[in-house]
Amino acid sequence: MRATALFAGSLVIALALWQFLSTVVFNPFLIPPPLVVLQTAAPMAKSGEIFRHVAISLARVGVGFVTGSAAAIVLGVLLGRLKVLNELLDPIIELLRFLSPTAMIPIAVIWFGIGETSKYFLIFWGTFFIVLINTVAGVMRAPIIRQRAALCLGASPVQIFLLVVIPSAAPYIVTGMRIAMASSFMSIIPAEILAADSGIGFLLQQSSVLLQTNRIFVALLTICVLGFIFDRLFRIAVDRMLSRYMSYIALT
Amino acid sequence: MLAVRNVRKLYGADARAYLALDGIELQVAAGEFVCLVGPSGCGKSTLLNILAGFEAPSGGAVDFEGSPVRGAGKDRVMFFQDAGAALLPWLTVEENIRFALRVRKVPKVQWPATIDKYLAMVDLAEHRHKFPAELSGGMRQRLQIARALAVEPKVLLMDEPFGALDALTRRRMHGFLLDIWQRTGKTIVFVTHDIAEAVTLADRICVMSLGPGSRITHVLPVELSRPRDLSEPRAAALYKRVEALLA
Repeated sequence: MRATALFAGSLVIALALWQFLSTVVFNPFLIPPPLVVLQTAAPMAKSGEIFRHVAISLARVGVGFVTGSAAAIVLGVLLGRLKVLNELLDPIIELLRFLSPTAMIPIAVIWFGIGETSKYFLIFWGTFFIVLINTVAGVMRAPIIRQRAALCLGASPVQIFLLVVIPSAAPYIVTGMRIAMASSFMSIIPAEILAADSGIGFLLQQSSVLLQTNRIFVALLTICVLGFIFDRLFRIAVDRMLSRYMSYIALT
Repeated sequence: MLAVRNVRKLYGADARAYLALDGIELQVAAGEFVCLVGPSGCGKSTLLNILAGFEAPSGGAVDFEGSPVRGAGKDRVMFFQDAGAALLPWLTVEENIRFALRVRKVPKVQWPATIDKYLAMVDLAEHRHKFPAELSGGMRQRLQIARALAVEPKVLLMDEPFGALDALTRRRMHGFLLDIWQRTGKTIVFVTHDIAEAVTLADRICVMSLGPGSRITHVLPVELSRPRDLSEPRAAALYKRVEALLA
């Protein structure tokens, strides 16, 4: 109850500050006030324009995030377990992870064109390294005591791996995925600004060229809301399905 | 049952190598309760890890029931001080025991009865649906005992299992462990740095010297009937003796 009130209070303050900046400090062209943004958003929503862009951006984030996470978890688990492989690949990973998705846009466009594939690739790229590094850390930090305890109870190496190591790493993997999802929502925008003819990033780019600051604000607001909603959904899903793996962190 | 012959353990190589154990000799008979005492860092835990088969000795040999120990064996179950790390925190009390029965390939039909039996033995039956995080430290250790006993090992290797518990809980756990030991006849090797704990529990106390090259310097039989009262003169004398040896 109190949290809800504070949340609402926070929104009210933000709107008031927004209105103030728009009308007093700057001007309504540079910062369109909340009401103008709402008036701009209504027809865009009614015509379905905004939802078309949202859907296409979400699809790109979805495909890139899911494939990137899956690949990173598989490789991360192997690297966390096989020391030689880790020592072999770690230097490459440590170098490549500094190439942000944005840095990869120019070459992605040349490799894959401006179609969907290049966007999938860029989101995949951004997701992959974040989830990979977290997965490796999680697998490596599975407590040795827990593995030894399982070993002398009679567990086989495969059982230790599947029933002890992977669940022990789950909180790390999930945390990595959550960060990667936030980063995916950020990196899809530059990708669409520079190399797309649809999506929220494209909407931003198009509105900027036409100096439509009100439409830019609608797009920016959409990004905020989308990121927020999906982060919440992710947390709820984790709470529902993985809570028994997540809740014990305080214990170890 | 367990025979340790001239075991040494060397960590690392060349000039920076550290000799943890040197010339360790120890015989443990079936059903015996042996305590290893020594100052912190004397290699007690290392020796226990070698007995468990988690680590290989650099020299010498460990035999279990006449055959050499190579790797962890199901008949020697290790019991850790950090129960929170040793248990599977995402499984409930009951599921932790079920996990042990599953990996031990105990036939499924026996699971419910076995789980009931050992949970009752450690007094956790009414907490069976709780997670380890919801248990107190003493309860977690009791769960670890139940889980270890459920797979019916011959030897329990205990690494300062009650070191993190408060004095009252620890005393209760001692009574508890002795009771289970007398009922089941397990062989127990128990590592501790608490002399009172060793005098309370052991058939024999093995005193280890401080490393490097730590060894078992004295083996003291404890010929006192249980339950023991540490204020009783003979127990107190033994306590003083061990204390003097460690000083």
